[in-house]
Amino acid sequence: MSQSPAVVVRDLHVRFGDVEAVSGVDLTADSGRATALLGRNGAGKSTTMKVLAGVVPPTSGSVTVAGHDAATDALGVKRAVGYCPDVGGLVPRATPWEHLQLSARLRRMDDWEERGRDLLERFELGDVAHRVVGGFSHGMSRRLSVVLASLHEPDVLLLDEPFDGVDPLGVEATLEVVADARARGACVLLSTHLRDLALEACGEAVVLRGGNRVAAMQAGDLTGEAYRALLD
Amino acid sequence: MPSSTDTGPHAWLEAARDTRHLMAFRARTVRRRGAAFLGLAVVVVLTAVFAVVPSRVDLRSGVSAPFERALAALETNLGAAFAGFLLLAVGAAMGSGGGRELLSRSEAAVHPISPVTEHLGALLLAPVNLAWMVQAWTLLAVTALVTPPANLVGAQLVVLAWVLTATALGQAAGWAVEGVRRTARGVLVVRIGAGAVVVVLAALHLAGLLAPLARSLPTTWLADTSQTTRWPLALGVLLLLTVAGLVVGARPAAWALGLPPREELRVQSGVHEARHVPEPRWGSADRALLRRLDRGSVWRSVGMRRGLMVLGIGPGLVALVAGLEWGTVLLLPGLTASGAALLFGVNAWCLDGKGMVWRETLPVSSADVFDVRALVVAECMAAVSGVTVVLALLRNGLPPLVTGVAVASCWLVVLVQVLAIVMTWSVRSPYSVDLSSPRATPAPHAAMAGYAGRLSLVTTLTAMVFTGLAALPWAWAPAVVSLPFLAWSTRRLLRARRRWLAGDERARVVLTVAAV
Repeated sequence: MSQSPAVVVRDLHVRFGDVEAVSGVDLTADSGRATALLGRNGAGKSTTMKVLAGVVPPTSGSVTVAGHDAATDALGVKRAVGYCPDVGGLVPRATPWEHLQLSARLRRMDDWEERGRDLLERFELGDVAHRVVGGFSHGMSRRLSVVLASLHEPDVLLLDEPFDGVDPLGVEATLEVVADARARGACVLLSTHLRDLALEACGEAVVLRGGNRVAAMQAGDLTGEAYRALLD
Repeated sequence: MPSSTDTGPHAWLEAARDTRHLMAFRARTVRRRGAAFLGLAVVVVLTAVFAVVPSRVDLRSGVSAPFERALAALETNLGAAFAGFLLLAVGAAMGSGGGRELLSRSEAAVHPISPVTEHLGALLLAPVNLAWMVQAWTLLAVTALVTPPANLVGAQLVVLAWVLTATALGQAAGWAVEGVRRTARGVLVVRIGAGAVVVVLAALHLAGLLAPLARSLPTTWLADTSQTTRWPLALGVLLLLTVAGLVVGARPAAWALGLPPREELRVQSGVHEARHVPEPRWGSADRALLRRLDRGSVWRSVGMRRGLMVLGIGPGLVALVAGLEWGTVLLLPGLTASGAALLFGVNAWCLDGKGMVWRETLPVSSADVFDVRALVVAECMAAVSGVTVVLALLRNGLPPLVTGVAVASCWLVVLVQVLAIVMTWSVRSPYSVDLSSPRATPAPHAAMAGYAGRLSLVTTLTAMVFTGLAALPWAWAPAVVSLPFLAWSTRRLLRARRRWLAGDERARVVLTVAAV
């Protein structure tokens, strides 16, 4: 396991036209730990996640994920990362199994089918593995996105709002995925509005506001009052 | 509180008001207003040109006998062409699940939009259709060509009224068919019915009865009357029929929209068994897998599958049954390829929908993603235009060498041309759309109208160049002339690819299509 942090973000700026979605975020996350990314809507959490997943290039600043520079080696970043996007994230007319097959093939995984089946069963998606995801409920889609993010046991697991609309059994399965990832030494970044679940899953917390990092602390120190004060 | 199936006078007033609000909402969301107004102006000017200019050309003096015969044939068959427009209106409404929607299903779900509003919206959007526009312009041009100038105004008013009537009647028929399709065994019934109609038409043609039958339809009386001083009578009849079609159409619309969309639900709940990773003879397995996923996204969509089948078989059957000359057949590959591109190619990334963010996290080269998507768009265009060419070949037999080279060259040129254009648009102007409903379009309606107009213009002009070349005695000429066309389009395609490969541009496309 590398001793250097798995995720290092320095003065990250992301601009879409005239809108600055992220303005100067600094973030460090270590392997074997889970860090919660908290903040109000529009705080820049999801955009930061997309940069870390190699989907959106940084406008300025430096972003290193598992040793890969996100600005120059997006493909290396994608190989190292498993990402559950905040919205949708599924090709509407493909089946869960086809999603898994493509992800595994492109990551050169040979013996993935057993793990794929196991994950689908854990998230109670085994009986819909061969149905197109266009007919899935929101919660089912979120659960499948977590399965896809964790299939290849990535070095860095990025989960953006994984609990949104998910039933208690799905929440439980997601918490297990986070615990497994930590146990095998992966770095987990989890973005959510649900402070209680964030505290349950993560040891550290970073709070963003208006595209900036306003606090980084041990998750246990983030009381309800402290969190509310940081949001305002 | 009015019922959702109410089609009484109150419902019509409410629906008219709601339709106005929805149209205004859509108009406010047009991104490039200048281009939209310019496009609208071009359509109006072209309509005026087709309606007037042919009558100013003196074709009767000093022309050859074959030309005289062609002109007489046009005059004799104008009524049949009127009937053809009605057939097109019915087919278009059937193909689009009753008619286009002003708001997508997911957007409309939370609003109290009545079936009458849906019906009015579908009628207003019917002209946003390449085949509709081309056919309407053809009717205007042929009428202008064969009508004495003194009666032109009346004749063209009758043509415009017929276009409205046929659209309203076609819409009513389209809703009725959609209603049947949504019943327990409706899909099978509609397929058998459509097949039977094709077989009957083909049998009538083979028996030599189709043309006389088409000429004996009331549309021939309409065409003849429109060119005389009695045209107000024809106009009055058509306006009455339009109102009747409009009012009657609300009934099947309410019926159809009240039933669950079985075909789409069957696709969503259907099981697609796992298949092994493909092992292609050439190319990488990664690309083969991407290709399979993209093809699945096309053929598992009810709207796209239906559209591709109609585009493939419809013009081909016309070529087969009507025995179109090769000069006319040359126009068809461009138009059918454009039609196929308008199903999803103009916004090619929309196949992935919200899954585009996930697709972008996969460790695969962006060049492969672009190449595979372009190939799948090209496959669809080649398939539908290929059917047309093959059916024309069956009807006409092998053409003379120069014509054959012209057809092959023109086909290749329009395919590469349309592909380059639509991939450029896909990267430059992506849209977030939900294509789960066959009533949905891959881009907003104003953009679709612009796309349809530009594609038809470009491909028709290109086909005209090759029609001219086919008349020359040199078989090499079409092949040589195709080279600059191909070079230009390839350059354009590569430019779109380079733009896609730029990380920030790709991110813009991904975030727009996934709407995140």
